[in-house]
Amino acid sequence: MAKQTISNIKLGAFVTAGLLVLIYSLYTIGKNSSYFGGSFRLRARFHSVNGLMKGNNVRFSGIQAGNVKDISIISDTLIEVTMVIDENTKKFIRKNALVSIGSEGLMGNKVVNIEPNSLPAPLADDNDILLTANKVNLDNMLATLDKTNMNLVVISEDLKETMHKINNSKMLWTILDDTTLSSDIRNTFADLRKAGEHINTMAANLDGIITQTSNGDGTLGLLLKDTATANRLKHAIIQVNNASDEMNAVTTRINNIVTGVQDDLSKRDGIVSNLLRDTAMTNQLRNSLNNIEKGTASFDEDMKALQHNFLLRRYFKKKEKEKKH
Amino acid sequence: MEIPKSIKLFLTQTGELAKFTGRFFSEAFHPHYEFREFIRQCYIIGYKSLPLLGITGFIMGLVLTMQLRPTLVDYGAESMLPSMISLSVVREIGPVITALIFAGKIGSSIGAELGSMRVTEQIDAMEVSGTNPYRYLVVTRVAATTVMLPLLIILSDAVGLYGGYLGVNIHAITSYKLYMTQAFNVLDFYDVLPAIIKTFFFGFAIGIIGCYKGYYSKKGTEGVGLSANSAVVISSLVIFILDLIAVQITGILGYN
Repeated sequence: MAKQTISNIKLGAFVTAGLLVLIYSLYTIGKNSSYFGGSFRLRARFHSVNGLMKGNNVRFSGIQAGNVKDISIISDTLIEVTMVIDENTKKFIRKNALVSIGSEGLMGNKVVNIEPNSLPAPLADDNDILLTANKVNLDNMLATLDKTNMNLVVISEDLKETMHKINNSKMLWTILDDTTLSSDIRNTFADLRKAGEHINTMAANLDGIITQTSNGDGTLGLLLKDTATANRLKHAIIQVNNASDEMNAVTTRINNIVTGVQDDLSKRDGIVSNLLRDTAMTNQLRNSLNNIEKGTASFDEDMKALQHNFLLRRYFKKKEKEKKH
Repeated sequence: MEIPKSIKLFLTQTGELAKFTGRFFSEAFHPHYEFREFIRQCYIIGYKSLPLLGITGFIMGLVLTMQLRPTLVDYGAESMLPSMISLSVVREIGPVITALIFAGKIGSSIGAELGSMRVTEQIDAMEVSGTNPYRYLVVTRVAATTVMLPLLIILSDAVGLYGGYLGVNIHAITSYKLYMTQAFNVLDFYDVLPAIIKTFFFGFAIGIIGCYKGYYSKKGTEGVGLSANSAVVISSLVIFILDLIAVQITGILGYN
């Protein structure tokens, strides 16, 4: 009978162990899938869920936060995903959190990511609809990659053509095959080096000159450094400036006069205008001039008569003699 | 039209087995249970098989890990090793391998035990003495295999997962917690429950076939060996057939 009891105890231990393992594993699986507890639900609406399935994980900032409870089609462009969120995560999710669908690794399961927004907002309530964001998905990436591929094809074609041209270019190969070219290039470089040395020397000389100049030696230095000369130069320039100012005043006055004359002319009065326009005065002037001419002719005759006058004859003869000498 | 002998034999046996199974259900659910004998059989069938099935499960997990690893490394998916081990062990390899080993150990022992009782006319003596031999011998054993095999498979899976953990750690260092987290993350009720439900059928099939073969053993020592042997062969085959049916049912229900 004692043996029977011991075997019964062993059997009991065995059965208990088996059941414990079963319960433990079922509980662990249930906890992972949020089958127990967690009645807090959030919703998000997408245009496409990219193969998301019921039971896929929901992550909040990368931490496991629940799973997808339900996926239902609302309209032809809208799909609603209902998520069950764990008790300990729900107090961190705010109304303005962004929901996106990503994948675990390149080929892994789809996963819903809830990312917090930095802007303040109240905590999300049960059954709230959160904002969604379109994340990079593999299809788009592949589409871009396809484009890149096409470009690569074009580029490689071009490259091939370029290489072909280079290969077929006789000139290039002549240059490359030319054995004297390398020595020429070497000589050129040697010359260049010499030239460089010369330039270096020149630069050194120039440096010396500049140093002298800045010290006030030489003509240029004197010019730059001599303060007395500079003052005189300044004085001269001031004088020139004053002269030009005076000239300016004179010009202004002349200008005024000319303007006055012009005004007179246009108004047909004043001396100048009368001078120019009065025909009577012009005739008088002409008569006066004729009279003067006649006067002069008479005067000339008078003078000739005087020459022959006995009183003055001696003087004129003396003058003629001087002219002959 | 003459039916070939082998087909005739097959159909006869199938019919007899069906009748035998039907008798089990009619006897099992009527009062006057042989409870003490059932417990004793559970101890023999369940507890005594634990070391063998534990070692099998451990080696199964370890070898599976070591065999899967190179391929996964080629694909750069070494981190998926725990997930793959837990999925394959829990869903398929654990139940089937354990059931096969169980069939080899228990199916043959039941077949031989009942066969020798039949040969030595102990069953006939029981009938004469007024004890129902079917109820006492068959119902208790079949019930014991049906209940014990799932438990054994659960423990064997657990030991197998631990073997897998050791296998992972041969080449890389993975903490026990990470391994178990990854192993349980991929599992769902849909993975565990169908796998466990089908083991009840495996256990029942092993028990009923072993009992049938032993109960209707041919006379002579030769008959005992034959019934033990055919019990193992047929129950192994039936395990695979049941597995095939199970996977189709879970597929139809959408739990795959």
